[in-house]
Amino acid sequence: MTGLLAFGGFEVRRLVRSWRFLMITVGFPVIFYVLFLDNRRPSKLIDGTVPWRVYLMVSMCCFGSLVAALTAGGARLSAERASGWARQLRVTPLPTWSYVSTKVIAIMLVVLPVVVLVEMVGAWFGGVGLAGSTWVELTLLLWVTSLPLAVLGAFIGFMVHTETAFPVVTALMFVLGYFGGLFDPVSSMPHPLRVVARVLPSFHQPALGLALLDGRGQPAVHWLVLSGYVLVLGLAIFFKHHLEEARGLA
Amino acid sequence: MDGTAGPAFRFEGVTHRYGSHPALSEVDLEVGRGETVALLGANGAGKSTAIAIVLGLIRPTLGRVTVLGTSARRALGEGRIGVMLQTGSGIGLPPGVRVDQTLRMIRKLYRNPASTAVTVERAGIARLLGRQTHRLSGGQVQRVRFALAIAGNPELLFLDEPTSAMDVDSRRSFWDMIRELGREGRTTVVATHHLEEADRVADRVVVIDHGRVVADGSGAILKASVAAKRIRFGCRSPDARMLDSLEGVTEVGIHGGEVDLYSLDADATVRALVGKGVAFTNLEVTGAGLEEAFVALTASRTSSDEAGE
Repeated sequence: MTGLLAFGGFEVRRLVRSWRFLMITVGFPVIFYVLFLDNRRPSKLIDGTVPWRVYLMVSMCCFGSLVAALTAGGARLSAERASGWARQLRVTPLPTWSYVSTKVIAIMLVVLPVVVLVEMVGAWFGGVGLAGSTWVELTLLLWVTSLPLAVLGAFIGFMVHTETAFPVVTALMFVLGYFGGLFDPVSSMPHPLRVVARVLPSFHQPALGLALLDGRGQPAVHWLVLSGYVLVLGLAIFFKHHLEEARGLA
Repeated sequence: MDGTAGPAFRFEGVTHRYGSHPALSEVDLEVGRGETVALLGANGAGKSTAIAIVLGLIRPTLGRVTVLGTSARRALGEGRIGVMLQTGSGIGLPPGVRVDQTLRMIRKLYRNPASTAVTVERAGIARLLGRQTHRLSGGQVQRVRFALAIAGNPELLFLDEPTSAMDVDSRRSFWDMIRELGREGRTTVVATHHLEEADRVADRVVVIDHGRVVADGSGAILKASVAAKRIRFGCRSPDARMLDSLEGVTEVGIHGGEVDLYSLDADATVRALVGKGVAFTNLEVTGAGLEEAFVALTASRTSSDEAGE
């Protein structure tokens, strides 16, 4: 147990100390919130439910968690695996499952402050006013629903070659961000794109946040799709890991 | 650690196949506590597979493996094995941290780690502790990785090509260190193709080829038992079968008009050559080094394999 904690702490510290990582993950969503707030009237209701300032805040929290998750996993993880460090860890007493799970947990830990920070900017700069308990609920909800993104980050780190991982991550960040409706509501998109959005985690994650705020409860379909991502990507990583293991050191 | 009973590890009839390709075939091997063993073999000979099995990373298709009196996976999980792998193109260290932070984390993974001072001193990394891992030279990386391998105070140590990026001096002090570990009762297995080093350092040399142990003994025994002398001469129409039957001959190599005989008794072999009336030219007799012993060993397997097909 002390070993696992030591490894977890080591991983998180390594992630947080990388200033480039922090600049990107914190910088993008905050700057976008400030920039896009005036795209519409901040108080204009989106889909007749929440005002734009709230919609954009929830969207940018999700975009921030997407960027954090893909940057922390993705190219970083891929390079680390290529360097042989992952193999070295496999021949220590660390249990085999702990490598992937520690990675995902470390990613989740750096997602949380990003969500909180965007919310703070929403409250101070955007003038979003929520009840104290709603802030807490929203934060926890957006954090927990970042799990599919964290697993996606790990998935890219495991599946994609180091050299291609960076462009793949960059492309995914904007494809998922845009088509998930994080920059512009999906309802303002042409019909085919609205269909595409329904399969993306970046649509279902903010949808849960918005549903919480407009009192629609928690539609099960969003949870189902998000859980599906965790399950499928998680299994893919598991099998890849297993396959490499069976090949031993070769 | 004389009180610890049983061998460091034991293979009984271990066979491992990748698909239908046999990487190891019916290997029996026992390595005792405190031995320093060099594992020799070409790439793809089965060395890496054997190591992966001792580490419990792969389960052999057939056969029994005992490591430190228990199963391979458990011995690794209990932190009784230290390992330094080959890393290929990468450095095998995490980027973006200092050496001391990495060492501290690794120590915490083991139940009974060696003291930091001892580890640092043995690996000679005192001046590297404050450095970022990605700012180390090749030789320094090797030393840090060696420190991580011994940090857990292992009873059994595996080193895969440990000196590949080291200069001559570091190499020498490295091998002195390995001998010291042996005196403490630790078992060290070094996979290498640095034959001369293996010969000088290891108590025992195990040669693996085509998934089989083809030789096992001290370097000197290997030399004596495989090919004490190499007899080379020119010959227009050499008769391989006849040459092979000559007294003392263990191995015949014919390359065009040139013949290499490996012999345990060069005098008797040369007398027999004369006696048979072989028309040789430019005859020379040289001591066969470990390199030749290795070539002879692996060559004989290859030729008998081909003969069998």
